[in-house]
Amino acid sequence: MALNDITLGQYYPADSVVHRLDPRVKIVLLIVLIVAIFVAGNLLAYAPVIAFLALVTYLSKVPVKMMVKGIKPLRFILILTFVLNLFFLQGETPLLNLGFAVITKEALITAVHYSLRLVLLVMISSLLTLTTPPIVLTDGLERLLSPLRVIHFPAHEMAMMMSIALRFIPTLLEEADKIMKAQTARGADFESGNLIARAKAMVPLLVPLFVSAFRRAGDLAMAMEARCYHGGEGRTRLRVLKCERRDYIACAAVAALLALVILCGKVY
Amino acid sequence: MQVTLEHVTHTYQPGSPFQATAIRNVNLTIRSGEFLALIGHTGCGKSTLAQHINGLLKPTEGRVLLDGQDIHQKGFNKKEVRQKVGLVFQYPEHQLFEETVAKDVGFGPKNLGLPEGEIAQRVQEALDKVGLSLPGLAEKSPFELSGGQMRRVAMAGVLAMRPEILVLDEPAAGLDPQSREDMLQLISSLHRQGTTVVMISHSMDDVARFASRAVVMEHGTVVMEGAPEEIFRHPEELERMGLDVPSVCKLGMRLRAMGIECPQDIFREEQAELALLSLWKGGAGHGAE
Ligand SMILES: Nc1ncnc2c1ncn2[C@@H]1O[C@H](COP(=O)(O)OP(=O)(O)O)[C@@H](O)[C@H]1O
Ligand SMILES: [Mg+2]
Repeated sequence: MALNDITLGQYYPADSVVHRLDPRVKIVLLIVLIVAIFVAGNLLAYAPVIAFLALVTYLSKVPVKMMVKGIKPLRFILILTFVLNLFFLQGETPLLNLGFAVITKEALITAVHYSLRLVLLVMISSLLTLTTPPIVLTDGLERLLSPLRVIHFPAHEMAMMMSIALRFIPTLLEEADKIMKAQTARGADFESGNLIARAKAMVPLLVPLFVSAFRRAGDLAMAMEARCYHGGEGRTRLRVLKCERRDYIACAAVAALLALVILCGKVY
Repeated sequence: MQVTLEHVTHTYQPGSPFQATAIRNVNLTIRSGEFLALIGHTGCGKSTLAQHINGLLKPTEGRVLLDGQDIHQKGFNKKEVRQKVGLVFQYPEHQLFEETVAKDVGFGPKNLGLPEGEIAQRVQEALDKVGLSLPGLAEKSPFELSGGQMRRVAMAGVLAMRPEILVLDEPAAGLDPQSREDMLQLISSLHRQGTTVVMISHSMDDVARFASRAVVMEHGTVVMEGAPEEIFRHPEELERMGLDVPSVCKLGMRLRAMGIECPQDIFREEQAELALLSLWKGGAGHGAE
C-alpha cells in the first residue's frame, strides 16, 4: 500500500559513526552543508559535495536504494525544474535549434545545476532523518533552540509537540490502514471513481481516524499528567548530549568542505 | 460454500528493511457450517490469515480459493467475496463513522448497490439479530452508545451484507463480562442458524464451549488442527507455545495431581459439573463432606 512508501523522515536503524554523532552537531552541519550547496557557484564546486555525500552515505551503512527512494516523490518538480530552465533560459552559445525553442549551453548548464542542487538538498536532508531517530532529533533541536528562551520562545513545548507528532505518525498510518481495510471489508471502494467519488469515499476513513486521534490525544494527556508532566521547567534528561572526538572531526570535515566549495567556485 | 487456502505465504513490505513474513505455507479449508477457532500467541499471524479469507490481503505465494475459484485471478468479482465472507475486525467499533446507527449499518448493503427499500429491511434485520431493536436507537449517533453496543452496531454492519462465512477477530476482547457473554451467545446463535464461523480467540474456555474445530498457529504456521478435545489433550505442547487450556482442564489436572480420580476428557463446564457430581456422590458414600 502507498502508505508504506514514505521515506522522507523515516529512520533507518544501523550501527554507524554517522548514527552516533551528536544530533545537535548533525543539525548544525546540515545547515552548513545546505549553505555550501547554495554558494556552490558552478558545477565543479558540486564535486566535493557529491564526494562528501557519497562518503557519509557509505559510513552510515544506509543502502543507496533508501536514499534514492527519498527523491522519488520529487521527480515531477525535478523534471519541471530541468525542462523549464532548459527551454526558457536565454544564453549565448546555441547547441540545438528545435524550431520552437533554442537550447543554449548556458541553459543546459543552469538546468543541470538547479536539478543537481535540488537532488543534493533532499539527499543530504534525508541522510539526517535516516540516521537519527526522530526523538533524538527533536531533543537536539530543543537544545539548540533553548537559548531563545530568553526571548520567550517555547523551545521545550515545540520540541515536545514535534516528538509527539513524530511518534504518532506511524501509529496513525497503521490505524488508517486498519480502518481502510475494515471499510473495504464492507464493500467500500477507495480506488476507483472520479475525483468527487474518491473524496466522498474518504469520509468513512477520516471520521474514524479523527475520532481515534482525539481519543489517543486525550489518553496521552492524561497519562502524561498522571506521571507529573508539567512542562520543561526543571526537567532533567535521560540522554545527556555530549560532544565527542568524532563530532569535532565531523565539524572539521564540513568546514574544510565549505572552504573547498568556495574555492572551486572562485577558481573556475 | 467453501474457502480453501493453498500454500499461502504472506510477507509484509517485501524488499524493504522492515519486511516480515507473517504466515508461511498455510493450508486450510473452511468447511461449510463449521465453527472454526483460530488460536495462537500474539503476533503468530492470526489476523493476517483472517484477512486472506475475504481477499483483503493477497498472498505473496499460494492461492485462496472460493468454491474452487482463485479469488485473485483476473476478472474475479472482489465484491462477491466481500459479501460472502464477512470480516469483523478486532475492535470493530473503531470503524463507525456515520451520523446514525441505521446509516452505518447500511453502509455495506449500499456499497453492494442494493435499492433503498432492501437496505432499510436489511438494516432492521441486522439490528434485530444483534439485539439492538430498541425504539429510536437506529436514529441515534453511534458515538453516543456504550462500548458493547457500539461493537454490536459494527457487527450488524457486517451482518447486513448477509455473509455466508463470518470471520471474527477477537470479538470478545475488551468487553465487560455481560457484553462478552452476549457477544458469544450472538455468535453461537448465528452459527446455529447456518452461518459458518471462524473465530480468533485467546479464551480456551470459549473455544471448548463453541468450536467444532480448532487450528493452532505458531510463528506463522499451522502446528495443530483438530476437534477441541484433541487439541486440549496436549496441555504441555500448548503451554510451551504460551497458550492455555480451558480452566476446567486445569481443575481436572489439579484433582488428578492430588490423587483424586477424575476422567481425562473434560473440557466444558457441563462435563465438569457431571463429573464433579458423580465424584461427590461416590465420595459421599465414604462419609466425606
Ligand atoms: N501491516 C503490517 N505491516 C508489517 N507487519 C505487520 C503488519 N501487520 C502485522 N504485521 C506483523 O505480522 C506478524 C503477524 O501479525 P498478526 O497477523 O497481526 O498476528 P496476530 O493477529 O496473531 O497477533 C506480526 O509479527 C506483526 O508484527
Ligand atoms: Mg491479531
